[in-house]
Amino acid sequence: MSHIPSKRRKLDHEISDESDESPNSPSNELHSAFQDSDEEVLDVHAPATTAKQAQPQPHSQPKRAKDDDESALYAVGLYKSSMFKLQVDEMLAEVRPNYGKRFTGADDALRQLKSVIEAIEDREALSVIDATKLLQKSHKVTIPFPDPKPDKNAAYKLAYAKPSNINIVGSYALKAMVKADSVLSIDMVIVMPESIFQEKDYLNYRYFYKRSYYLACLVAGIQETLKDQFSLDFEYLNGNTLHPILVAKPKSNKEKSPLNYRINIIPAAPQTLFSESKLRPTKNAVRPKENAGTETTLPPTPFYNASLRSDANFEAYLKLLYSASRQSAGFVDACLLGRIWLRQRGFGSDVSEGGFGHFEWASFTALLLKGGGSKGHSVLSPGYSSYQTFKAVVQFLSTTDLTSKPLIYESPDFSGTKSDVPVFYDGPRGQNILYKMTPWSYALLRDEAKASLDMLNDAAFDQFESTFILRTSQPLQRYDCILSLPVPAKTFDSPTCDHVSQVTRFSLRLFDVLREGLSDRVKLIDVKSSKSSSWSTKSSGPTLPGQSLLVSVVFDPANIDRLVDHGPAAEEKRKAAKFQKFWGEKAELRRFKDGSILESLVWKTGSTYSIFQDIVSYLLKRHFDEEVSLGLRLIGESFDKALPSSAASSKLFETLKQAYNTFEKNVRDLEGLPLQLRQLSAISPQLRNSSIDPPSFSPQRPLKTPAAVLIQFEGSGRWPDDIVAIQRTKIAFLLKIGSLLQDADASITTRVGLENEDRKLQNCSFLDVIYESGAVFRLRIHNDREQTLLERLVKDKSTDPRTREDAVAASSLYKRNFIQLPLLNQSISTHCTRFPLLSPTIRLVKLWFDRHMLSGHVSEELIELIVASIFLQPYPWRAPSSVMTGFLRTLMFITRWDWRLVPLIVDFTGTMTSKDVSSINTRLEAWRKIDPGMNRTVLFAASNHDTTGVAFTDKGPSRMAAARMTALAVSAYKLVKDKGVELDQRSLFATSTADYDFVVHISPRFAADQKRKEASKHKFKNLEVQSEANLELVGYNPVQLYLSELEKLYANSVVFFHSEVSGSVIAGLWNPQHVVPHSFKVNMTYATNISGDPEEGKIGIDKSAILLEIARLGGDMVSRIEVNR
Amino acid sequence: MAPQQPSTISNFAILPILLPPSPALSHLPKTATHTLYIRPNNPKIPTEADARSLFVVNVPVDATVAHLKGVFAHLSGGVVGRVEDVVFEGQAQIPSQKSTVIVERKRKREEEPENATQAPELPSTWDRETRKSGGNAVVVFVDARSMEGVLKSVRKMQKSKDYPLWGHGVSSTKVPALGSSHYAAHHALRYPDPSALQRNVDAFMTAFNAGEIQRLREAKRVRNVPDADGFVTVTKGGRVGPAKAAEAERMREEAEERAKVRTGEGFYRFQVREMRKLEQGELVRQFEEDKKRVEGMRERRGKGGFRPET
Repeated sequence: MSHIPSKRRKLDHEISDESDESPNSPSNELHSAFQDSDEEVLDVHAPATTAKQAQPQPHSQPKRAKDDDESALYAVGLYKSSMFKLQVDEMLAEVRPNYGKRFTGADDALRQLKSVIEAIEDREALSVIDATKLLQKSHKVTIPFPDPKPDKNAAYKLAYAKPSNINIVGSYALKAMVKADSVLSIDMVIVMPESIFQEKDYLNYRYFYKRSYYLACLVAGIQETLKDQFSLDFEYLNGNTLHPILVAKPKSNKEKSPLNYRINIIPAAPQTLFSESKLRPTKNAVRPKENAGTETTLPPTPFYNASLRSDANFEAYLKLLYSASRQSAGFVDACLLGRIWLRQRGFGSDVSEGGFGHFEWASFTALLLKGGGSKGHSVLSPGYSSYQTFKAVVQFLSTTDLTSKPLIYESPDFSGTKSDVPVFYDGPRGQNILYKMTPWSYALLRDEAKASLDMLNDAAFDQFESTFILRTSQPLQRYDCILSLPVPAKTFDSPTCDHVSQVTRFSLRLFDVLREGLSDRVKLIDVKSSKSSSWSTKSSGPTLPGQSLLVSVVFDPANIDRLVDHGPAAEEKRKAAKFQKFWGEKAELRRFKDGSILESLVWKTGSTYSIFQDIVSYLLKRHFDEEVSLGLRLIGESFDKALPSSAASSKLFETLKQAYNTFEKNVRDLEGLPLQLRQLSAISPQLRNSSIDPPSFSPQRPLKTPAAVLIQFEGSGRWPDDIVAIQRTKIAFLLKIGSLLQDADASITTRVGLENEDRKLQNCSFLDVIYESGAVFRLRIHNDREQTLLERLVKDKSTDPRTREDAVAASSLYKRNFIQLPLLNQSISTHCTRFPLLSPTIRLVKLWFDRHMLSGHVSEELIELIVASIFLQPYPWRAPSSVMTGFLRTLMFITRWDWRLVPLIVDFTGTMTSKDVSSINTRLEAWRKIDPGMNRTVLFAASNHDTTGVAFTDKGPSRMAAARMTALAVSAYKLVKDKGVELDQRSLFATSTADYDFVVHISPRFAADQKRKEASKHKFKNLEVQSEANLELVGYNPVQLYLSELEKLYANSVVFFHSEVSGSVIAGLWNPQHVVPHSFKVNMTYATNISGDPEEGKIGIDKSAILLEIARLGGDMVSRIEVNR
Repeated sequence: MAPQQPSTISNFAILPILLPPSPALSHLPKTATHTLYIRPNNPKIPTEADARSLFVVNVPVDATVAHLKGVFAHLSGGVVGRVEDVVFEGQAQIPSQKSTVIVERKRKREEEPENATQAPELPSTWDRETRKSGGNAVVVFVDARSMEGVLKSVRKMQKSKDYPLWGHGVSSTKVPALGSSHYAAHHALRYPDPSALQRNVDAFMTAFNAGEIQRLREAKRVRNVPDADGFVTVTKGGRVGPAKAAEAERMREEAEERAKVRTGEGFYRFQVREMRKLEQGELVRQFEEDKKRVEGMRERRGKGGFRPET
């Protein structure tokens, strides 16, 4: 509606400024609502709403009457994409509360309160002591004086007089509320009359004492008449201890509908009482007691000043927001978007929530609509759509640093100074709207804004969910490590004049120390204190919980485990002295290899977390005291320890990689190969740092599982033109390579093995190459003719259906093993170098799948793709920098993955376009259309290498296994959410076998667990040398063979589950379709017996016979079969 | 187990077999049985041996010839040696046709001499085959009388309850044991002797090449002989090679490329207009598609599907 071209913007400003003074301004209107007048009120902004009035909102209905074609064309420009816009519309419709229904009776309650307040008698001016005593006696109300408490002998008097104005402000008035806030609050501002104040009251808390007394009088007055309708409590507005307010919760008279709104009664200062210029952020308003006389440069009290100013500005900001909403059509929706965005990131107006909530967002946006840009131009255009406004604000937040360059809006005679906290000084209203922010919350906000901007600029993928739906503030997914430490009673720095609580002061100091001490080891530090709670009007203040702080940290994986810190050079005297002062005895002068002499710090070798802990406890001890450092607790390191041989793993992977390089060189150096070698490609998880157990081998204990490698020769016409013949020819090739290798190096052992005996079209042979060092490689030949030949078989009409089926299966296996696997191997190992945490995260996620006995169903490659996507598209966060965040985010991804409709897409190279993505989507839709029951394709995992999406999911999981995966992830993730920082990592990996129909226990002699223990057992070195390596048993895993035989024999009737790592049980589920009796037929796929009514002649699955068969097959390997049902 | 067991089910006789108890499944009753369904063999393509063979359904997975011989020896009143052979599902019929096969072979050999050199299979890697659950088998007896005798005793057994015991009389020396030794043997057999393997491959390639030559010769013959309708089949291997599919594809692409260069993409005004129209249509289509997808999401997630996570 208001597509105002930018030329007219200036004019528009004047109009909107005018509207501030116009008689139709919102406060008057709001006012009128109390007087029950029949004046015409604007539907969007009047607080007095009936159900009818709340309904028609121009932008809220997702199904708009507008022409769809038109909006389709507009959506591309004004929104990220039409998909994004549609989802935003859905969300907005979802979160908007139904004002009529939600606030039944709210207007009556407000009116009632107003009339009661207006009827409160004036009170004589009293001294502090008398006032306190009187209220205590007559109404049992304790005056909520802020700290420091007023001097008992103070000369000034406290008084009460009828308020000059009562008004409704905040998001209720603007209709910018969001549903999911548990209790919605209506802000009611009581403007105190000027008569009870003096000009000098802005100094030394006097205003705040008078305000507290006023508030206590209000409580007394309301209590007298409305005790039965409302429950009354004190609370700090936004956690600011200077702003106690009264919270009135309506007592619901009807049991069935508990009212879920509350009314905040906020005493406010008259707008023009105190001069703006005296309360600027650089001024001092709290005079220190010692040197009361000297008026030299007193330290500024920005927080105190802004708290006072904000008390006088409630109505001014209501007017500002109202005029902004009139000026720009997208403003209210943009505020809603901003509100959701902030809430999902854990930000709020409360001091403990960062001091940047929806009010700050809305005023920020409103001010940017008027100015803030270069030369006073506005940053936002009123013609922007809600999404454009939202994105522009996010962009502004991310690109402008308001700490180093304070932003001053329309205040020519004031220029801010550089400080730790951000400044956005709103001149006309004389207030820094960001005064509640801390250095860390501002850094966090900017980091979130940057991440979100990246998300919104991502052209290929839809980032709606990560922008608005996902809750990014969950500590275990957001941060790599969380420190919990007690707040000491002592203070460690010089007192300031400003109103700063003990906790805040400690936090500030702690933040400074940690920031300097940890430097580039961490990317983010956040300090969280507990939120203040409400308290009864009778007690003197909120009950303080055991004060402790949570310091959350995001690591920089490149630097976090650095052992030696380099400080300044010895010649730079001043810097060196500063360094020494900061680090104390830990700092030492060292000479380095390159000849430089530097101040340096050396830390003890250990895991990432132990180094980190060492540093933090040293810093705490040095800058605070022993007690603080002893109270330190680290949360997050347990995930690191869950992995087998976590410390040495990267070294083990590296050793195998080196052995592989030697192997490749050996093969390349071979002379006399019948064909020219093209390439060798690794396809084993052990060669891409992603196997659960890192590969460990020694001459005595060769590698347990051979590492698979493919070899490809240059094309040749000499290969036979027949698939079976090619497979047989490969045997001859492998025999030749084997003997050549053995001739070249006598220490190498080789042997040709057979596989896929009953599937003639598939690869039938491999060559095991065993080095003296214990490294074992399994070589297979890749011949690209196979693909064509198989396709020819499939297309040939004369092929019998069984062969065709075989050919289809062989072709899909060929693509997986010979084309996709080498590419995946390459990509994963590249990214393991790029992201140091990718490898351990993949391994931990694999361990999770394995512990829950899904490893036979969900392929390793699929897990790797899932985890890679967490690192490559980490939004709404950055790429994980600890195993914990990586693992938990993966769990969350699986929980949320609606695989029926959504494909997994991994873009390894960052080159995919939205067209690629949409074609993959289309492909998934096509699959679902052909196969809605998901009997063939269940999960769809595509990458830039494989747009078919089924390379690694063709063989499973089945729909049942996929559903189990999701169910397990959901319950695990729920535990994570419920427990929060108290989470015990082990509970996520514990599994129960009670869900399965029967459980086959493997006798301990054969179980993998047992073998692992044996392998790790310490042996005497001389014994080890004597014992011969048993090469025969390389790659021998009887339990796995048993399992695959069972799977083959009972393919249709039983689903088996097994954990490869623990390996002590095989669990099974009967196919539920087979449990019901069927009529007799010859070609059943499972053992049967006569069941049900003998006359009917029906047969059913013969469970006991099958179980006995399983026992007979297992023979000595099975110790016990437990039947659950 | 129902007290009144029916003796037949859709003209199959029911033959329960006692299963040996297993220490792993101590809770099962000692009298656990496995049910076989048997009837005279009556395949679609009749063979000489049909009259003396039985069709057995629901064979246990660990069945061997010895196991079934043991069962039928029990049924023939303890007389061993009535069963001549057992053919399991998926196995070739050849072994059971010992008497006739020589005659047939001879006749065949005259017609298709290339079959003479059979391509050898790869060496087996299992010491003992296992059968798919619920599979069937054909049991060939030495004569029709013994087969009928067996069927009769099955019917009688309904009363006597003297069921045969599975694995009775199977000597452990002839039939390899299951369990870990089974898999250990498999692991050993996977790596055959290299020279034997080489011989196997050589034999296969000889046979394959012989077959190839034969096929070429056949194709050449067909090339010159018109069929019944007077057409000559086009086959591979003429003087001028036949067109390749890939080549044809390449030619087509080239032609298209040339056409594109000639007129250009935005050469005519109507082309530009059409292109724009197409783009617009694409946008609308995309929007419609997205709308459907969002609707689908809403339906699947139900109420609150788009609500931000708490």
